[in-house]
Amino acid sequence: MIQPVTRIEGHAKISIHLNDAGEVESAQFHITEFRGFEKLCEGRPFAEMPGLMSRVCGICPVSHILASSKAGDMLLGVEIPPAAEKQRRLVNYAQILQSHALSFFHLSAPDLLLGMDAPPAKRNIFGLLENHADFLRRGIRLRQFGQRVIELVGGKSVHPACSGPGGVHARFTTAQRDEILSWIPEAMGSVTMALDRLKPLLDGFREEIACMGNFPSLFLATVSRQGGLEFYDGVIKIIDGAGNVVTESLDPARYYTYLGEASEDSSFVKFPFYRPLGYPGGYYRVGPLARLNVARFAGTERADRELREFKQRGDGAVCEAFHYHLARLIEMLHSVERIEELMSDPALFEESIHARAALNRREGIGSCEAPRGTLFHHYWVDANGLMTRANLLIATGQNSQAMNLSVGQTARHFFKGVALGARPDEGILNRVEAAIRCYDPCLSCSTHAFGQMPLVVEWLARDGTVLGQMAR
Amino acid sequence: MRSLFISCGNTLRCDDGVAHRVLELLPAAAEREVRSVHQLTPELAAEMAGFDVVVFVDADAASLRPAVEPIGAWAPRSPLTHVTEPAEIVALARALFGFTGEALMCRIPARDFRFDDDLSEVGIESAQMAADELRKSI
Repeated sequence: MIQPVTRIEGHAKISIHLNDAGEVESAQFHITEFRGFEKLCEGRPFAEMPGLMSRVCGICPVSHILASSKAGDMLLGVEIPPAAEKQRRLVNYAQILQSHALSFFHLSAPDLLLGMDAPPAKRNIFGLLENHADFLRRGIRLRQFGQRVIELVGGKSVHPACSGPGGVHARFTTAQRDEILSWIPEAMGSVTMALDRLKPLLDGFREEIACMGNFPSLFLATVSRQGGLEFYDGVIKIIDGAGNVVTESLDPARYYTYLGEASEDSSFVKFPFYRPLGYPGGYYRVGPLARLNVARFAGTERADRELREFKQRGDGAVCEAFHYHLARLIEMLHSVERIEELMSDPALFEESIHARAALNRREGIGSCEAPRGTLFHHYWVDANGLMTRANLLIATGQNSQAMNLSVGQTARHFFKGVALGARPDEGILNRVEAAIRCYDPCLSCSTHAFGQMPLVVEWLARDGTVLGQMAR
Repeated sequence: MRSLFISCGNTLRCDDGVAHRVLELLPAAAEREVRSVHQLTPELAAEMAGFDVVVFVDADAASLRPAVEPIGAWAPRSPLTHVTEPAEIVALARALFGFTGEALMCRIPARDFRFDDDLSEVGIESAQMAADELRKSI
């Protein structure tokens, strides 16, 4: 039993442990808040779960709604109508698009365009205004597009009411289609612009690419039954760092047979692992980098072209966490292409959007690809359909061990030459943060808040003495 | 004068959703648009262009009475945060989307943040006072 197990919001800490010689021995990214969504849903009717689980996250509520709805579909024992499936796919593409836009343009672009050593006061989106205003404007509009699609389908962009057990809540209309289509040229142009900006920049980050989370690991993601990039429904595939297929065609509804969950005293986040390799050796990475590594093709013209080029960056698999950024952009391109395709799919407009049934099973599992990786919702209900237990396996948690290793590798490389007890310079500490930022962990996105998320970096001697601390 | 009112908050957390009630209490007007959101997001900046005045309305646990005040300059926060503040949105709107109007913050006293979709007595009273104040001043 993992106790406590929860999603987290807001607070994080990094500890860097030094040996007697003052070299970095290990490092940890601690998530220090407890939330307990699994517990609070006990006793609630399962039909309420998509609405409740939406509250796990204010950035990717759609992902939780979809995984929850799919768990509900399984409890009902139904196959949802094609229009409902298409609509769910549509909002999931929109979700991926808006979340990736936030990560790339707002959180990581300041590092990428201004440099890791830029003054902290400038290293934010306002620092981009002076010379990169059009880039930033396009990034905001791109996220606006994704949010608008979600709002059109679900009534509001954050915590929309877009899906539930058995299907979706409202038919898709031609007016919605027309508005979405009017955004496509601009969205496509903006993602293309971002790709054209990022790729030449990568040459200037060779040291960071090599030393900020560059190690072989397992990669896990959903793929279509043909092996292509898939965000909504498919099978689970795992490859290793050399690109060898470890296993494929795994049923997401049996995730617990091949994925285990460990806990560490240092963090409230879970540490999932691939059971055959045990813990901690069976850790794996999820999210955009993993998805592009495991998928053989994207299935859309432009994304396929980018994916082929992307795969050339690795020898079997692309292992550098820094390339999460590029992978994110390619997924955004793919999402825009897929959204456009869906607009001309007659099935999206069909009348039947809901499969009606009573409770037929006592256990339901739903999964989909959230922006940060594979998401599993597992519910148990009693004969009245009331929740008796829930287990959530969230993407950020599945990257826990990889984030720790990335922080350690980054600190080990960039702390070289820093005297014992001395304060590392700002650019070094920023690189430690940037290693985490590659994974875009979702720490502070569950609910409306008015304040900042503090991040504390400590460096400690072998005996635990705090040699220094820096807080943002 | 074209005005945009943006209310922000969680209606499932009692008074946290008080701002939405304020907007419901405002009478409809030809030149007035309202936008209710769960949380502030950067793309709101793109929606502000063309308005003469934009008012962010939000619950405030520290306020004693409804207060409307100009939104000051934004001070950058942690690069890891997912929190967006009104001042940040206003700054983006001015810099990127040509917003030249007045930006105001309306803080509503809020005391109760339990899991509940009703407002507390303080919240109900504050909402009415804030709506009256906004109707008179904007």
